[in-house]
Amino acid sequence: MTDSLIDGQHISKVYATATGPLVALDNVSFNIEEGEFISLVGPSGCGKSTLLSILGGLEEKSDGTLVLAGKHHDSPRPDLGMMLQTSVLFPWRTVRENVRLPGIILKLDKKEQAERCDELLDMVGLNGFGDRYPTELSGGMRQRVALARLLAHNPRVLLMDEPFGALDEFTRETMNVELLRIWEKTGKTVIFVTHNIGEAVFLSDRIFVMTPRPGRLEGIVEVDLPRPRTMEAMRDPRFSELVFTIRRMLGVDH
Amino acid sequence: MNMMQPAEEIVASPATQKETIERFVETERRRQKKKVLVNRLLAAGFGIFVLLVWGFATEGGFVHRLIIPSPIDTFWAMGRVMSADYFLPNIWVTLQEILWGFAIGLASGVVLGVGVAMFDAVRATIYPYLVALQAPPKIVLAPIFVTWFGFDQPSKIAIAVVMSFFPMFLNTLTGLSAVDQNAVKLMRSLTAGRWKTFRYLLLPNALPIMMAGVKLCWTLAVLGVIVGEFVGASAGIGYLIYAMNFQLDIAGVFALIIILSLFTLVVYQLIEWLESRIIFWKQL
Ligand SMILES: Nc1ncnc2c1ncn2[C@@H]1O[C@H](COP(=O)(O)OP(=O)(O)OP(=O)(O)O)[C@@H](O)[C@H]1O
Ligand SMILES: [Mg+2]
Repeated sequence: MTDSLIDGQHISKVYATATGPLVALDNVSFNIEEGEFISLVGPSGCGKSTLLSILGGLEEKSDGTLVLAGKHHDSPRPDLGMMLQTSVLFPWRTVRENVRLPGIILKLDKKEQAERCDELLDMVGLNGFGDRYPTELSGGMRQRVALARLLAHNPRVLLMDEPFGALDEFTRETMNVELLRIWEKTGKTVIFVTHNIGEAVFLSDRIFVMTPRPGRLEGIVEVDLPRPRTMEAMRDPRFSELVFTIRRMLGVDH
Repeated sequence: MNMMQPAEEIVASPATQKETIERFVETERRRQKKKVLVNRLLAAGFGIFVLLVWGFATEGGFVHRLIIPSPIDTFWAMGRVMSADYFLPNIWVTLQEILWGFAIGLASGVVLGVGVAMFDAVRATIYPYLVALQAPPKIVLAPIFVTWFGFDQPSKIAIAVVMSFFPMFLNTLTGLSAVDQNAVKLMRSLTAGRWKTFRYLLLPNALPIMMAGVKLCWTLAVLGVIVGEFVGASAGIGYLIYAMNFQLDIAGVFALIIILSLFTLVVYQLIEWLESRIIFWKQL
């Protein structure tokens, strides 16, 4: 248990609001192994973003313990990377300058970062777009830049909060396939928030199913679909079975 | 034979496409040119119309020339005023006052704006007072400042500073606060501290609103100086306007107003040019 990369025990989060205290997370416990692809699914307001923020060290937990790589974890760290639902690109920086931002803030080697930036832009299929400004890109392209920026400082754990939620179905699926390819190549640990059950099943090793009011971890579903996965995985009968199981856990069918 | 047709199409299509694009670019350029020309003609036409009405009313004797000088009188008065030996020393006095007032107002607005936005202690200490002082019209201070700082330049500079400080302060504060919380979250996740968040996110993000403040700051600095010179001065454009008005040299007053407007406008355009350079990404 202690050799898991991330070990969260009895984590709770209470927000003080105008209408009184609000329990966003209620006694959530889990382990995450190095290199795992984990998805958090659940309806709106069940505390997915809150849990991800706590994992990123951006939000204080009200109770419980959180251990990352053997140490107590409660503040941002350079070996974590965060990607949000909106691309949050800075319009005054070119695509390349946006991807270089983490390296600049973390004072990483300039030459190495320049090379890495080119590699990453290549990897997300934006070769030749380095000198464009974000306003000149489509939503899908911007999210690709955000993906490249996420990987720029080579974080060990990727925390992704509905990163493709604002994209259309087609672009989203393309991005999913791309993300899987990158994950398989780099062996990073990914924690991925989504509303989309199919997306979670397609991507993950395990799925944390959460329910709201208060935010609880209803259960953890192992995804035993073979890897490497392609779009073909969605035709697997096991795929629909897993989607159905999760639907039932979320109480969608009654 | 039929089998050849698709192949021909493939060969033909890039050329057609190129032609289409070229035609599109050409019509688009012509349309733009035409639009610019029409806009210029409209503006010039309106200007000429106003001049004609003005000339007709004055030269035609409908308004007394002493009350409103004709365009031609005003034109000659400009030559007279600009070649007079009192002109350069007086304009120099006003110019210095405006530039000092603008520079100090702008700098103090930015410094205090950044201070209040970035440091809670500074905000708690001075923000309530600045909000209270922001409401009343600053121009009421003009007579008091003349009493305090005398008839010379310092009192005019002080009025210009007080007038131009507030828009700069408020726009700096607003600009620094108007930030996407997700961007702040991203910076925090990258372990960026206060200074790096300011340098890479808050400041560039605030620049568009701050530049709008700079423009306001400029017009108000000019206003402050001229009003200050009306209230009490021994030199300057405002002083000259006041004196000439008293001597019923309205043509001279008109000439000075036009010169002052042109000067203010030129600097304003310069600021706008700088703005387009500084916040280039808004033009993309
Ligand atoms: N800063 C905050 N202050 C007060 N309440 C908050 C705050 N952030 C989140 N909450 C509350 O905590 C609960 C969980 O919010 P959270 O954003 O984690 O949900 P989520 O699962 O990410 O939802 P969604 O799928 O809509 O993004 C919600 O009821 C929300 O109103
Ligand atoms: Mg959320």
